[in-house]
Amino acid sequence: MGKIKKKGAAGNAKNFITRTQAVRKLQISLPDFRRLCIFKGIYPREPRNKKKANKGSTAPATFYYAKDIQYLLHEPVLQKFREHKTFSKKLSKALGRGDFSDAKRLEEVHKPRIKLDHIIKERYPSFTDAVRDLDDALSTIFLFANLPSNRDIPAKTIETCSRLANEFQHWVIRKRALRKSFLSIKGIYYQAEIQGQDVLWLVPYKFAQNVPGDVDFRIMLTFLDFYTTLLGFVMFRLYTLEGLVYPPKFDKEMDDKGAGLRAFMLESKKVGALENGESTGVAVKKDVSKQLETLGEKIKEIEDKQEEDDAPAAAIENGETVNEGLDKFTAIPSKDGTTTDILEQPNVDAGEGGKMANMFSDFTIYLARETPREPLEFLLRSFGCKRIGWDAVLGEGSFTTDDTDPSITHQIVDRPPMVGLPPMPAAKEGEDTEMANNTANGQRGKVLGRTYVQPQYIWDCVNAGRVLRPDAYAQGAELPPHLSPWVKAKDGEYDPTAPVADDGESDEEDEEVEDTKMVENGENGVESEDVDESGDDEWNGMTTELASEGEEEESEDDEEEDGVVELPSSDAESEDEEASAQLQHQRELEAEAKGIAYKDEKKSKKSEAKKQAEKQKKQKEDEIERQKMMMTKKKRKLYERMEYGNKKKQDEKEKLESKRRKIEREKNKGKN
Amino acid sequence: MSANAGTRKRSRAAAEEEKPVLSSEDEFEIPEINGDDSSDEEDFSPGDEDSEDDEELSSEEELEDDEDLDSDEIPSEDEALPKTNGTTNGDSTTGADDEDADPADNFKVVTGADGKPRYIYREINPVYDSDDTDVEDVNTIGNIPLEYYENYPHVGYDINGKRIMRPAAGKALDTLLDSIELPKGWTGLIDKNSGAALNLTEDELDILKKLQRSEITEDGFDPYQDILGYFTKTTEQMPLSSAPEPKRRFIPSKHEQKRVMKIVKGIREGRILPHRPQPEAADAPAFYDIWADDAPPKADHVMNIPAPKLPPPTHDESYNPPQEYLPNESEKKDWEEQDPEDREKNYLPRSHKALRYVPGYNGFVNERFERCLDLYLAPRVRRNKLNIDPASLLPKLPSPDDLKPFPTTCATVYRGHEGRVRSVAADPTGVWVATGGDDGTVRVWEILTGRQVWKLKVSSDEAVDSVTWRPTPEGRILAAACGNEILLVVPPIFDSEEESRGKEILSAGFGYAANKQGTKEAPGTWAKPDSGLEEEGVVVVITVRKTVKYIAWHRRGDYLVTVSPEDVRRAVCIHRVSTHLSQTPFKEKSVTKGIPQKVQFHPSKPLLFVATKRYIRIYDLAKAELSKTLKPGARWISSIDIHPQGDNLIVGSYDKRLLWHDLDLSTKPYRTLRYHDKGIRAVSFHRGGFPLFCSSSDDGTVQVFHGRIYSDLMENALIVPLKVLKGHKIVSHLGVLDVEWHPKQPWLFSAGADGTARLWN
Repeated sequence: MGKIKKKGAAGNAKNFITRTQAVRKLQISLPDFRRLCIFKGIYPREPRNKKKANKGSTAPATFYYAKDIQYLLHEPVLQKFREHKTFSKKLSKALGRGDFSDAKRLEEVHKPRIKLDHIIKERYPSFTDAVRDLDDALSTIFLFANLPSNRDIPAKTIETCSRLANEFQHWVIRKRALRKSFLSIKGIYYQAEIQGQDVLWLVPYKFAQNVPGDVDFRIMLTFLDFYTTLLGFVMFRLYTLEGLVYPPKFDKEMDDKGAGLRAFMLESKKVGALENGESTGVAVKKDVSKQLETLGEKIKEIEDKQEEDDAPAAAIENGETVNEGLDKFTAIPSKDGTTTDILEQPNVDAGEGGKMANMFSDFTIYLARETPREPLEFLLRSFGCKRIGWDAVLGEGSFTTDDTDPSITHQIVDRPPMVGLPPMPAAKEGEDTEMANNTANGQRGKVLGRTYVQPQYIWDCVNAGRVLRPDAYAQGAELPPHLSPWVKAKDGEYDPTAPVADDGESDEEDEEVEDTKMVENGENGVESEDVDESGDDEWNGMTTELASEGEEEESEDDEEEDGVVELPSSDAESEDEEASAQLQHQRELEAEAKGIAYKDEKKSKKSEAKKQAEKQKKQKEDEIERQKMMMTKKKRKLYERMEYGNKKKQDEKEKLESKRRKIEREKNKGKN
Repeated sequence: MSANAGTRKRSRAAAEEEKPVLSSEDEFEIPEINGDDSSDEEDFSPGDEDSEDDEELSSEEELEDDEDLDSDEIPSEDEALPKTNGTTNGDSTTGADDEDADPADNFKVVTGADGKPRYIYREINPVYDSDDTDVEDVNTIGNIPLEYYENYPHVGYDINGKRIMRPAAGKALDTLLDSIELPKGWTGLIDKNSGAALNLTEDELDILKKLQRSEITEDGFDPYQDILGYFTKTTEQMPLSSAPEPKRRFIPSKHEQKRVMKIVKGIREGRILPHRPQPEAADAPAFYDIWADDAPPKADHVMNIPAPKLPPPTHDESYNPPQEYLPNESEKKDWEEQDPEDREKNYLPRSHKALRYVPGYNGFVNERFERCLDLYLAPRVRRNKLNIDPASLLPKLPSPDDLKPFPTTCATVYRGHEGRVRSVAADPTGVWVATGGDDGTVRVWEILTGRQVWKLKVSSDEAVDSVTWRPTPEGRILAAACGNEILLVVPPIFDSEEESRGKEILSAGFGYAANKQGTKEAPGTWAKPDSGLEEEGVVVVITVRKTVKYIAWHRRGDYLVTVSPEDVRRAVCIHRVSTHLSQTPFKEKSVTKGIPQKVQFHPSKPLLFVATKRYIRIYDLAKAELSKTLKPGARWISSIDIHPQGDNLIVGSYDKRLLWHDLDLSTKPYRTLRYHDKGIRAVSFHRGGFPLFCSSSDDGTVQVFHGRIYSDLMENALIVPLKVLKGHKIVSHLGVLDVEWHPKQPWLFSAGADGTARLWN
């Protein structure tokens, strides 16, 4: 016999500790505990047995893992909190005495400052861990970068956030790390791949944010504190791995003029520094050695170029070269001006990926002033576009502010087309750059020789991974639906891109008409449909295979939707059915023998088939019912839950499909 | 005295208050109370008057005091003096009293007895309000006991040397009267000086009264007067010391100078930096490569639950979603009416024609805040997600087609009963089926045709609760329970030989019953039915005390056991046909512990199964002891049936469960099946060799099962549900009340609350 176990000495009773107990154990106030939890990433748990965890009481309580709290006892930040407590006593004493100079001195010199470095290292022992947790950090930082400063949020915090956000965007652009983006009603989602991890973040649209009164900014700011520190370290590492200096040079003047991303200047590290940096990969080291070989020559070149750099205004005209400052890292003299070096642009993986990453590299894009500049600029530059111009009102840093620039190939517009203008020449659609030479004549509204597209075009191109035909996105055109790139329709889920067969359960007539048509036309019907659709854009350009699949689905739907459970009062009916089916079969055989197509009773055949399907379905249900009878209660419950979930999904799908059918029918009616 | 008066007054007032109430209420009580009251008044009549006087006094002014005093029969001390004075020169004294102011008038000159002028001073009236220590004695005899003057007409001398005459002491009768009448202020004491009764004055009485009421005795005393502070609260700013200020107060401290110089030196040397400017960067954290060592990712700890990432947006979150994702009016309304916490999605899909129409999202900050709260406040738990096909959970069952034959369809409907059909029984030859119903009839039908061949109206007001055929092939006897009677019938549907055999069997015991009579009160009386019933074929009627709900035959057909749950002591009754004797195996309720619901004989052994509400007890009839108690775990057992081989038992319960007990295994059920929507009414095994059993329920269905038992003890019974037979209608929440298998065929009979019995094959 084993040792007698004492109650409450192990397991749930020992593993968990209530919040009150934790606060008492740590001897701190509840707000301090909250901050500590946020910093340390400690969260409440749900014990498997609450009663045992709460020492027999069933009163509602928040439980923490006891070891989490145990580790907190030795937390340096906890010590800082205590120091802060004494400091605040001193400060209030000084203020109470009216000793303001003393108070100021205390505030400046003796205020304890919390450092979170060790927590970051502790929470994310490896860099990948940190990257994995960037989602929330980025979303929060991007939100704060777009908030106005007020009493709760110091201006400095917002400044930090926007700086970090821009630095991050620079890195993403440089690394071509952006994968997907999505225009949602909430904001713009971006997904980047960092160190093999997918990081998804949400950026609000550039509007004044509605700040509800019940939002506790102390909590948000505590999180932000942590996130800024985390992102700072992550950025440092990312920049270092990239061989860049962190933090990048920040041009306050440019920023004030609304340059946004262009207010930052990335600069590469000195060679020596690079050598010291062990963390940089082997590939980088190779680069370095190569660079070292050619250093002498390069320096000469750089010295030549320095002259050019002195006149940035002139450089803007060159276009190419200016953008190289960011993308190719031409010489930027470091502070002491002794050594500079050139980092070759990291080879974006060749083939498909490279093509995708430089999707817009051949484009010169002009943003009309009503389009959102920041997201478009970020997106375009992340996909290789080097020449982006915009209206002067959108801020500094544009490739060109002249919308009649002949080099522009695409213009992104978001305004209704001007009425009363002559229609665009058909040749416009071809992306012939030769047309650009046609100089921008003073046509009001449109300039010949460039493609006008709506902003969604860029997003759809990015998500599709290739440059799409722009005609669906023409100015003022009704846009195709913008779909989330993260939703991949699985089996049995609704796929908005796949065509839905017109089931027409509501009005049977339609269906019948269609059916007869199908039979009459044979396979031609399908083909003609295909022909019809082939002219459409990519979205509907699906193979006929899918259509036929849809047809199959239809029959299944029939079974499921129309299957009305009947009381199996007697099976006489079913027997009748069988008999009639046999009769039918007999007749068919006879007809076949005679060589006549058995057509006249098609309708009855159809209903027959329907009945048959119903019967089969009923049998299936009975069988399941029978099997469920023999299940244990636990398993039955589980089964029913799963069935419930599946049914919910199915219902959702059917709802969407029926809606879509209705819409399509209405559309067709409109056409006819 | 005064106290007495006070209390009396109060009691009287109380009585006066009570009186009207009482008179209005109850006449009976009034005399009693009145009697009390009157006696009270009689007892204390003098006092009562006194109190009345008292009242007058208190109400009247002081002016009348004198008169009142005069009227008093016993003279008080105060009165004595003026009297004595009055005898001499009453007028002058009273006149002098008025002229207080003149000092010359303090005395009078009177010619004495000796002819000399004699000064007679006015009585000094020192105003000692409270102090009576030096009240001047009127009597001047000093400290001499008064008894000394017993023989004299006077009791002493006043200040003027005049005799103080003994107050007129009444006779013994007077004293008695005095003591009875109790004048006001009477204390029962005698003044030692005057020998008169020492009575309390008006003022003193007044004081006492006030004390009694715990009032302030002094008139015009203000208990809430302003408090005069003894000390002022303002601190006086007065130098307590006049010493001159010391010099040290005017010269700088050396110690301080030393310290200052230290700091100055420090500053000069550059050690101390006054107002050192804090570097701007101190606030901003310094970044460095914190992952320089780049530790490998830690293995995930069980207790570490990383926060789940927010799911990526779906199509309907798009600014321009496909149209089918847009909610219609009703969906929109539903969403808006829902509580924000209940909403499946915190946004309503919207469509914008172009990007420029997209407004800012209102709940952005709030959502981020919610996420922050979730991150640090939401309890995290690891949940295993089952990613399996639900179909894989379903057990593999043999196909019903392989387990044929079993009843699938309704072959015959036996119509005729008015009201519910309570019971159904197929006769051992498999030709007839008997039913009993709420209309008080027993009917016998031909199984295949559904023709009613015989009908017996047993009672007009009571239902036939149970019908059963005697299980032996010879002698067709039908037992039917109606009310508290058990009828043993030989239906006149067979040939005469069989009929007579049956009657023979039944009437064989008539002699026994007569012989045994009188030993004890038998639980059942066996008698011949009245002629009407006898013609119909009823041979014997057994009458027990309470309504019989269930009858079961022993396999040999000699015994039958009945259950009448209402009879607490004789719920289970065993009747022997051959001797016409009834006995109760359980004399008391405590033996079965609970009201028996169903009783059954073991098919081969001398065992009796008694099902109470919760348990099934198996009694060994040979040893007359309890051999086993089964605990099915059901709340209320409705029916039981024993497998023909005797080792298995099925139990149906009103809490919808069917329980399969393997008697060799345990007292707990081997299998619990819960599939009926309502309580199970009856369960039944097939006894003719088919491995079938069934259950009927109030949901109007009969469920047929395949229940195979293997001869190998190690192998568990195989239970496969085969078919749900639906057909009976539910009438007032009752469905199928009884089921019975055909003795030879895989056919099933069911009795429904809808007034029909059915045959399923």
